[in-house]
Amino acid sequence: MPRSPVGREIDRVDGRLKVTGAAEYSGDYRAPERAADLAHAHLVTSTIARGTITRIDTAAALASPGVLRVYAAPEPIERLALYGVTGQAAGFTEPYIPLQTAAVRFYGQAIAMVVAETPEQARDAAALVTATYAAQPPRTSIADEPHVPAGPTISGSPSSLDILAPGVESIDAALAASDVVVEAEFHQNVQHHVGMEPHAVLAVWEEPDRVTIYAGAQIPAAYALGMAQRLGLLPQNVRLITKYVGGGFGARVVLWSDTPLAAAAARELGRPVRLVLTREQMFTLTGHRSHLTQTVRLGASRRGVLNAVSHRSIAERPSTMSFTMTPAHSTSDALYRTPNLHVDAQLAVLDIPGSRAMRGPNEAPGSFALETAMDELAIATGVDPVELRLRNHATTHPVSGLPWSSKHLEECYRVGAERFGWSARSSRPRSRVDGQWLYGTGMATAIYPAARRTGFAVRVQLRNDDTAVVSTGTSDLGTGATTMVAISGADALGIPLARVTPEIGDTYLPPGAPAVGSSGTHATVPLVVDAARNVIAELKRLAVTRDGSPWQGAAAEDLRYERGILHGGGRSMTFGRLLTAIGSRGVDMESSPGGDPIPGVIHHSFGAHFCEVRVNRFTGETRVTRFTTVADVGRVINAKAARSQLVGGVIFGIGHALLEENHLELRTGRLANSTLADYLVPVNADVPDIDVVMLDEPDPRLTGPLGDGSEDVGTRSLGARGLGEIGTVGSAAAIGNAVFNATGVRLRDVPITPDKLIEHL
Amino acid sequence: MRPYTFAQPRSVREALRGAGPDTAFLAGGTTLVDLMKLEVVTPERVVDINRLPLDGITLDHKGLHIGALERMSDVAADRRVRENYPMVAQALELSASAQLRNMASIGGNLLQRTRCGYFRDVSTPCNKREPGSGCSALEGINRGHAVLGTSDDCIASHPSDLAVPLVALSTVVHLASARGTRSVPLDTFYTLPGATPEVENVLRPNELITGITVPRSPWAAHSLYVKVRDRQSYEFALTSAAVALGMRGRTITSARVAAGGVGTRPWRLTAVERALTGRPATAATFEAAVVRAADGAQPREHNAFKPALLRRTLVRALTELQESR
Ligand SMILES: Cc1cc2nc3c(=O)[nH]c(=O)nc-3n(C[C@H](O)[C@H](O)[C@H](O)COP(=O)(O)OP(=O)(O)OC[C@H]3O[C@@H](n4cnc5c(N)ncnc54)[C@H](O)[C@@H]3O)c2cc1C
Ligand code: SF4
Repeated sequence: MPRSPVGREIDRVDGRLKVTGAAEYSGDYRAPERAADLAHAHLVTSTIARGTITRIDTAAALASPGVLRVYAAPEPIERLALYGVTGQAAGFTEPYIPLQTAAVRFYGQAIAMVVAETPEQARDAAALVTATYAAQPPRTSIADEPHVPAGPTISGSPSSLDILAPGVESIDAALAASDVVVEAEFHQNVQHHVGMEPHAVLAVWEEPDRVTIYAGAQIPAAYALGMAQRLGLLPQNVRLITKYVGGGFGARVVLWSDTPLAAAAARELGRPVRLVLTREQMFTLTGHRSHLTQTVRLGASRRGVLNAVSHRSIAERPSTMSFTMTPAHSTSDALYRTPNLHVDAQLAVLDIPGSRAMRGPNEAPGSFALETAMDELAIATGVDPVELRLRNHATTHPVSGLPWSSKHLEECYRVGAERFGWSARSSRPRSRVDGQWLYGTGMATAIYPAARRTGFAVRVQLRNDDTAVVSTGTSDLGTGATTMVAISGADALGIPLARVTPEIGDTYLPPGAPAVGSSGTHATVPLVVDAARNVIAELKRLAVTRDGSPWQGAAAEDLRYERGILHGGGRSMTFGRLLTAIGSRGVDMESSPGGDPIPGVIHHSFGAHFCEVRVNRFTGETRVTRFTTVADVGRVINAKAARSQLVGGVIFGIGHALLEENHLELRTGRLANSTLADYLVPVNADVPDIDVVMLDEPDPRLTGPLGDGSEDVGTRSLGARGLGEIGTVGSAAAIGNAVFNATGVRLRDVPITPDKLIEHL
Repeated sequence: MRPYTFAQPRSVREALRGAGPDTAFLAGGTTLVDLMKLEVVTPERVVDINRLPLDGITLDHKGLHIGALERMSDVAADRRVRENYPMVAQALELSASAQLRNMASIGGNLLQRTRCGYFRDVSTPCNKREPGSGCSALEGINRGHAVLGTSDDCIASHPSDLAVPLVALSTVVHLASARGTRSVPLDTFYTLPGATPEVENVLRPNELITGITVPRSPWAAHSLYVKVRDRQSYEFALTSAAVALGMRGRTITSARVAAGGVGTRPWRLTAVERALTGRPATAATFEAAVVRAADGAQPREHNAFKPALLRRTLVRALTELQESR
């Protein structure tokens, strides 16, 4: 009898293909039928941040060996035939048509494209293209440029809001009336997603009005829709294949300029075109996390009970693609109980490359500020940091007043503190020294919304060889989504994992959940459950109606499906044998519509981080030595992939706290650290063993009814909330708090680097 | 990358014969090929020197001799190097990554180019890459740049870790050209940028490094290299220190000290050496000796921390070395 794979340590179904290099990522895909025809494109980028292109000299590039075309601004290039994007897809498409005007909006914008027979010829010819500009001084300072209100958050709530207790006039009054006040300002520079796989696209036109695109995309449907509009095609005539993706983190949410350009060139040339961005180009052409300033003020009683929380921020609004950065969202407006709350997010319009959500888009920076301030409050009140958080534990959501669908945060603190040995800690800063190293510990809370998204579908097919195919057009960014689809299919059908083939990453499949907002799993699993239910019902219907079936003429209600076998009237048969008997190769059904969020509750995932660092007392390097994370993320579908996600999230936090920043040159608008030598991400040596615990408490109130609601899929939906981002939320603060405990130095500007620390050591 | 012709000579004579003004010697290629891809250097002719007989590590009464084509990883793993010149092995092991060290040669290491981001981005002005175009780093992001030996035309720091202990140990570089062979102390091999930052050393056009000799010394075996950086591995130094001490009892009889990450070339600190010599090896001595280590430093907007970090790095290295006795 097969054991359900749910919750076990399951290897990725595509693991072997990936580690052996057999998995074909977008840039590897060879388009076998048209391989001989394949042409290669390379982009040329601007070297000013604001102004107009006066002239582009393409003569040398055109004369270069193997060059087929050079497309260059400033003249609108009609033969590229690119159009505007409106409506639903516009929010996920870079809002200007590339190479169609002389305007330069940021340093590193695409201003020309060379297409040649080989990638090297294209790259070398691109280096011969020269541009002259009429430059204007760029707007680069979030401090100095005018501020505008950010507008609604991603979940649609206001980014600026006040909740005041009866009789309290303002947040300032609430703060003034508090016994203890902590006020702190935080800065962080531009950060980047830095997926391992460079952005790559292959465009293959099958017919003059029909194209297949191979590219990494987090929201395949929106990507394909945006492409259709950019290219002036019917939506159904763009097929996007996004089977293997080497990291998204938000950078592949948007249809940037590279994919439309490659597809337009392929159309004009009548040949397949591949375009691979260089690592340097990825820093300016595929988004970043906005740099920002945050101010947090906490007012509390002497016992540390919060009376007022104020969280304000100023971030970028790039003049092109802009992510609305609202760092108090789902952090200060959700985490703790407080009678008085003020959050506010402002943006400054800058001539800087487009920004995009990056893993824990608001929550990672927001929690760094809030959770650092909470640590400062713990110091100011003398209350232990864990105890302080327990004293301010919220049982209902502070803004909406709604209860949570499921919340086990207190348990996260308890389990984490015990595993980590928190009680052995000295709260006195700089009290543990071992040779050259100062040791310290810190902790922080993690929270991430689990907003359920609907409108997607899954198809389950039962085949006459007793295997099943589970299909949905979601994408697997490397998270293990493909494996999650297989696991939930095997569980829902009660058959061994090896007999389930997952099929994802293709917009010709039923529309899949976007791989964003840690929502892929919790949006997909209930649909798999429902599609399995539907296909089993269909199987029963065939069993009682079709010739060749032993049950022909019986009542479907009298049949029972269990673990791949139909039972009834004293007979049993696997679905494969039944299908064979009735002469069918397979039967498939899609999931039903519905599954809307359950009203009256709010969904978040929670966690607690505990960390130990050592800081060199001479030279100020911070090294993370221990890390424990306890996560309350609902049911765990695949323990192995889930742990990887949480570990990866914490590593993002290490980068955030200690390493990652791209310096914007205020004078030129150039992002100065746009190489992997100058933009530091953690390497293995920076990462200790990370101890991850998942409480594995299924969320009982995650999904509303699907279809006719005749069966409660809600409770059968496994209660998995998703966990791609929560490891990143709060982990940087835990590290910063540990640095304070080790050294007595409080740094509110990340990354925490030796140059900043030594001043105080 | 621009087109070039390629040769693979088997002897030094042959290698030098065809060399012209736009020739580049290719060793491990970990600097050269990078810079060719970025079009920072655009040689017309590339001469692969890997078949030349410039290998070998020997230790004799004069010192340690290392052929220019010895790989960083092989030198770092050599028992004689590890025992007699620990800070040389340490500097190598703290450089780059294992894969790079397997490719990169000792000659190439000494001739690697600065990691200044403007030097490597051909769209920005840079006097070193394009004399007279200006120095973008002066007003740009200069956290990694030098504070010692700088000029108004260039503040690029010298990137090599290996060169730091080698300079401390009075290493000699052996050179060969069509005009014959010569040997130059590494300390004077490197030149200051002044008004000609494109010139980095006294190597003549088409002159080869054939090898180096690290003199024998009583203190080299008691030595240590400390490298300070943001990331624990795979990053160039913010600051680094190579220290070697000769001891009699608790007294320092001789000292060799050099610093990396702070200078436009590897920076020997003879004043610190003098201040240590003849004193007891105590924290007070170390603190006092480094007080003036960064004298003459010219910090800029983002690297103002370097003088203090240099002093701290030196004290840490001296303390660690002393404690390891
Ligand atoms: C990602 C990365 C990280 C790195 N990190 C570090 C680090 O932390 N610390 C560090 O010290 N270094 C580091 N390096 C630099 C590395 O050590 C050098 O690139 C390497 O030592 C160069 O040796 P090579 O044999 O590959 O030289 P090549 O690239 O072959 O040559 C370099 C230069 O020297 C010339 N040349 C080479 N050999 C000779 C010779 N015998 N005679 C005359 N001219 C010659 C070449 O023409 C060229 O100009 C790093 C490099 C990379 C790419
Ligand atoms: S510091 Fe030197 S290498 Fe860097 S930009 Fe200035 S001149 Fe060029």
